[in-house]
Amino acid sequence: MPATVHAKLLAAFLIIVLLLITVGAVGLQVLSGVNRRADDLVKLQRKIAAYRQLQHDTTSQLYSVSSALVVPEEHTLDATLRQLNQSGYDLDRLQFVAKDEVDLLGQVRDDYEKFIAVVTHVVELIRGGKVKEGRELQLTQAGPLADRLERITNQLVNRAEADMVASIEAGEDAYRTSRWVVIGFAVASIGLALTLGYVISWSLIDPVQRMDARLREIAAGDFSRHVAVPNRDELGALAANLNRMNDELGRVYRELAAASRHKSEFLANVSHELRTPMNAILGFNELILDGIYGDVPPDVKVPLTDIQNSGKHLLRLINNVLDLSKIEAGRMELTPAEYLVQDTVERVRASLGSLAAQKGIDFVTAVPPDLPTALADAGRITQCLMNLAGNALKFTREGRVEIAVELRGDLLYYRVTDTGIGIADDQLETIFGQFHQGDATITREFGGTGLGLSITKKIVEMHGGRIWVESELGKGSSFCFTIPLRLEAPKGV
Amino acid sequence: MNARTILYVEDNELNRKIVRDMLRRTSYRLLEATDGETGIAIARAECPDLILMDIQLPKVSGLEAMRVLRQASETAHTPIIAITSFALSGDDQKAKDAGASAYLAKPYSPRELLDMIRELVPEA
Repeated sequence: MPATVHAKLLAAFLIIVLLLITVGAVGLQVLSGVNRRADDLVKLQRKIAAYRQLQHDTTSQLYSVSSALVVPEEHTLDATLRQLNQSGYDLDRLQFVAKDEVDLLGQVRDDYEKFIAVVTHVVELIRGGKVKEGRELQLTQAGPLADRLERITNQLVNRAEADMVASIEAGEDAYRTSRWVVIGFAVASIGLALTLGYVISWSLIDPVQRMDARLREIAAGDFSRHVAVPNRDELGALAANLNRMNDELGRVYRELAAASRHKSEFLANVSHELRTPMNAILGFNELILDGIYGDVPPDVKVPLTDIQNSGKHLLRLINNVLDLSKIEAGRMELTPAEYLVQDTVERVRASLGSLAAQKGIDFVTAVPPDLPTALADAGRITQCLMNLAGNALKFTREGRVEIAVELRGDLLYYRVTDTGIGIADDQLETIFGQFHQGDATITREFGGTGLGLSITKKIVEMHGGRIWVESELGKGSSFCFTIPLRLEAPKGV
Repeated sequence: MNARTILYVEDNELNRKIVRDMLRRTSYRLLEATDGETGIAIARAECPDLILMDIQLPKVSGLEAMRVLRQASETAHTPIIAITSFALSGDDQKAKDAGASAYLAKPYSPRELLDMIRELVPEA
């Protein structure tokens, strides 16, 4: 039966409550002990008071008899007899306050009864006018009896006082013991409660911390480990679920990675498969044009050149579509290497030079000769310039196209300016979107997929650069992008 | 002076035919291999003056073949033009690292290829 967190907490609180009850019970026990001892002390005091009362009674009896002997009047004698009654009452009371001294009390009673008898007799003698005999009896019998009574009661008082001292000492001992018992119980309870609290809270916090750490790792893409939580409670179940989630996420992650790899491989294969026939088409066409297979009549050269240009165009479109697929799949990677800006611009000029010459467009480049060696993906930057310069040539009927480079601080500014048809203000924002061209008539007149600018923008952004355009309809356009002179670290799209 | 020898390692027949036809009016002698393994064997046996190496080849890849050839004493210094399938995917850098003297992206212009060959190994 697994212990739930609920049960654990409940058990901990129950134990603490039990400890509190125990401490309370021990305290009550000690208090009742103290109370009992106080009662005993009160009883002893009452006992002593009763004994003293008896002594007092005896003495006053002797005194009043002596007075009666000197002044034998009726009211004195009455007082003496009344006192005898009072003494009898005091004696009766002793029976209740001093139950445990029966022997001595018996003696006291006997002696006192004798004393009463003697005193009564003395009173009768005085009443009968026999004062002399009364005095005789008083001296010979009442006096010694009173002495004995005083002795015995003194004994009783001493005993009671000794009992009282003993009781007080016992009370102090008991108080010390009780104090230690209460302190001991309280300290033990606090210790137990703290230990319990620590154990319980740690048994909850430790798994939570472990799972938190594991979740961080999973969030960082590490699906290789399970979190170990031995708890057999809700937290254990949570950890088991966490591990299941980890496995499931790991499985999905691996499947996605595999799918992505397959897509990437597929793209690479498609790219290769499309290029192979294109190589044959363009290669043989060029060989024919170059007269390898015999002289080519001038009127055949024109369609052959058209085949050549269309083939190259088709190739660029294929490359663009493949590039965009790569970007979409997040598979495009930069391959930074050292390069010379002059070489890059020169390659573009060489590739597009014949097209510019065909259209009679002045195609110029302006690169400062003292630029330092740059570090970036030169192939991709060439691609950007090819796209921009290709567009510029495409949309320019006459005038000039210029590629200019400038170094400002750590940034290279590449600028492609043309004297073409220009771009309307409302198109400037959207021109870098996919499949976007100025408008549909442009597509019909100039062709193209509208992917070049979108790819160029992505490549520039991967380099951590920025691209923008300034244009005036009918006057021309100027595309500018920045690339760090030295690329620190490649960035994903 | 003997005719200069060029070894072309390429599995596609049409691509080999382009180069074969291209060299028809030159004095270069062409050897052909259709996979990396054969390419290495012919290169070491014939010691050509120049090697054209396609990157994607059956059995042994062009990159691997170039590494082997650079280790072999007979071909350690032979100029090699690597023909990459896509210049933008980093193949050019990989080709250079494997020991290529120059590289050309497919589809290439036969005219450019011939210029490159003539620059590295002038016709006899």
